[in-house]
Amino acid sequence: MFKKLKKIFVSNEKKQEEPNPNNSKEKELKESSIKRQVDANISLLKEIYNVPENLDVKFRNVTVGGSSQKCCLIFISTISNVPMLEDNVIKPLVNNKEQQKRVPHILTVSNIRYAADFKTALLEINRGNAILIADGEDTAFIIESANFKSRGIEQVQNEVIVKGPKEAFTESAGTNISLLRKRLKNENMVVESVKISERSGNEVAMLYVKNLANEQLIGKVRNRLQSLSADAIQNLPLLEQYLEDRKISLFPTILYTERPDRAASFIEDGHIVLVMDNSPDSLIMPATFWSFFHTPEEHYLRFPFGNFTRALRITALFISIFASAIYVAITNYHSEMIPADLLLAIASTRERVPFPIIVEILMMEMAFELIREAGLRVPSPIGPTIGIVGALILGQAAVEANIISPVVIIVVALGGLTSFAVSDISLNFTVRLTRFLFILASGAFGIYGMTAFFIVGIFYMVSISSFGVPYLSPMSPKYKSSNDTIFRRLLENEKFRPGYLKPKDIKKKGNEA
Amino acid sequence: MESSNRKIGIREYMAIAFLTVGTKLSDDTPTLLVSETLTAGWIAALLTGIISIVPVLLMIKVLSVHKGKNFYEVLIFLFGKLIGNLIAMVLLLIAFSALIIDSAIYTDIIDTMYFTTTPAIVIYGVLMLVCTFGAKKGLEQIGSVAWLLLFYIKITLFIVLLYAWQGGRPSFIFPLWGGGKGQIIKAGITKVSLFADFLYFGMIAPLVTSFKSFKKGTWIALAVVTIELTAAVMAYTILLDYTTLRLINYPFHEAIRNINIGFLTNVEMLFFPFWLLATFIRFSFYLYIVTMLFGFIFKIKQFSYVLPVVATLVVFIGIAPEAPTFTIFQLRETLLTIVSPVYIGVPCLMWITSKIKGGTENEKKMEKN
Repeated sequence: MFKKLKKIFVSNEKKQEEPNPNNSKEKELKESSIKRQVDANISLLKEIYNVPENLDVKFRNVTVGGSSQKCCLIFISTISNVPMLEDNVIKPLVNNKEQQKRVPHILTVSNIRYAADFKTALLEINRGNAILIADGEDTAFIIESANFKSRGIEQVQNEVIVKGPKEAFTESAGTNISLLRKRLKNENMVVESVKISERSGNEVAMLYVKNLANEQLIGKVRNRLQSLSADAIQNLPLLEQYLEDRKISLFPTILYTERPDRAASFIEDGHIVLVMDNSPDSLIMPATFWSFFHTPEEHYLRFPFGNFTRALRITALFISIFASAIYVAITNYHSEMIPADLLLAIASTRERVPFPIIVEILMMEMAFELIREAGLRVPSPIGPTIGIVGALILGQAAVEANIISPVVIIVVALGGLTSFAVSDISLNFTVRLTRFLFILASGAFGIYGMTAFFIVGIFYMVSISSFGVPYLSPMSPKYKSSNDTIFRRLLENEKFRPGYLKPKDIKKKGNEA
Repeated sequence: MESSNRKIGIREYMAIAFLTVGTKLSDDTPTLLVSETLTAGWIAALLTGIISIVPVLLMIKVLSVHKGKNFYEVLIFLFGKLIGNLIAMVLLLIAFSALIIDSAIYTDIIDTMYFTTTPAIVIYGVLMLVCTFGAKKGLEQIGSVAWLLLFYIKITLFIVLLYAWQGGRPSFIFPLWGGGKGQIIKAGITKVSLFADFLYFGMIAPLVTSFKSFKKGTWIALAVVTIELTAAVMAYTILLDYTTLRLINYPFHEAIRNINIGFLTNVEMLFFPFWLLATFIRFSFYLYIVTMLFGFIFKIKQFSYVLPVVATLVVFIGIAPEAPTFTIFQLRETLLTIVSPVYIGVPCLMWITSKIKGGTENEKKMEKN
């Protein structure tokens, strides 16, 4: 059945891939090299760019003063720094007096590169740079003038912390890299650019410290990026799904953060960070379970306070996953466990509720998730109203109408609220979904079902890996590391980079880099 | 299963050993030990551990000569294909019966002590389903899970034993020699196969990072497990007295029923999940070993594909006996008695053969030089 479906899909794809005659002609044009005659080049470029229909592609013809050589400056005005081009390219060219000077010597820009064929030239124009072609030159001059519009650096929105830096990544890759370079003033930090999509020409920047990160790991990530064959990958959340090993797994294997300080500390440990235009965030790989569980604040807070937060979070994690399931298991299968008074209290509140406990819990859990999802989409002015209606009135009314017993509201609300203590959005979803699975398991077999499901989950977690790094390392399998798992250690004692990354330099102190 | 090619560390190996052998103190093993020796069951437990030093020592000696080979490969090397495979078949048969009998006992424990209304076959089915999943993931994963959960499982066990110690009457362990010294020695020898698992750890010897850690891990595990079992039998005797202990099959579960913490009077459900975790890990490992041995004997490289078949067989054979509480108890006692000479005999035989063969091989080497 699946094979048949697959066949149908594959054959459809093949049909779509038949070459379009127009495309192939354009491709030929792009492959050709730059000619010595300016006019020929201009007409070719105009054809490719659909000028004059295309409004913001500008062709500025200039005659060089002194030598009266014909030149043309080509750029896209909406993504280029036009005043800079005027001051540093057009003005010097026009005002030139000397006859013998070649064009690149006249320009007063900081950096000039050369393009021998149209393919490179087009790529640069699309990136916001300007191209200068001149009569008698068989290469085009690339002038860096990119100026994409994006918002400024703002405060962190989702990974909020009280103590520590507040800067967040923005949608501009250049800004993001600058934020990271600000934290890692190191000549060994490499920013490698990899093109990941064909049609839209999306690029991703790969950041790592050359003499720390493992070569194999860098190669693995680079290969994975280069082997992508998508028409367009707009931003990192989409790229994340292309890169993952297990795409339908409940457990995330690539860490996603909007905090430059966090990304920088991972680079320092030998991880690889991906940064991309249009994404106010970065991807960190490889990631272990612990990196999802941690927040940077635990290291910014003093040792006891940081570990107190960790203890709270692990408790919250367990409550959030197990609270409802345990309630179902105990009331259905192991009621002898509850002290008699409490049992009577629960029984009396349930007296007039017509549903089995598991239905009651599932109803309430669903309601909670619905309110949560709706609350996320509500326009902010009416948000608080929805919150009050949802939480207070709905809950109160449900109890008074004998649809839900009050104990269930306590249990579900506790589980729901504690899930917010898990700050990573991916792990948060993992927790919320596994909660439902545990409720079903405990509904079927009580504590036995829960334990069975729990160990299946642990077996699964132990078996997955992120870019070859076991998910629960360094706890098991054991690696030399700072042992920053459930609890952190004193900063002086966190001496080692994680051994599972096989970094080139495992000791943190007393070494360069 | 690309990652299953990786080796397990000493921690993981020890965790597996602790959980597979150590969990025996929570089934009917203590009752078996006490039935003839009366109050001296704990001495018998200690004795089995001490006697076990001989086969374990010999096995390690033999394996150390053939580093990089597992128990089966050494068997074939020493005894040739025919006899080697024959011995391996006997070992497989033992392991398979032990898996069936033990899993039937654990199903019975869950069924009679906790889920009295749930049909046994459903409990058995879920148990083996989970264990197949675990075994299918591979040894490395079983080891990791064992290590991750070991601490919590042992903490709860410690609490139970501590409670039993302070809740009982220490005078119950007297008279010290119980049913008599002869009975103690008899029980110690016939029940020595409680530790027969150590023989099967030889199968995974080359999968542990180094032979040194295998050796170290095995000795530590043997020592700890012996102490654990001894302490447990002692604790049960103190808490329940030997007369009761002889009558009930699962003293661990009776003991946790006796515990009450403050206002919580029935806390067995706090301990039950941890015991279950140990159970799942234990049978995952047994299942893995049985299919691994099966795979080696019948030359099946991808032996993990046999797992579901083995697990299904286990469920259907294990569920067959009626009144499992009594039948299987008898079966287990018989099995243990039969296995004991094999457990001690096979390593001895291997060691002697190895000495003779090794001698000739050394001579050959000398000649070559």
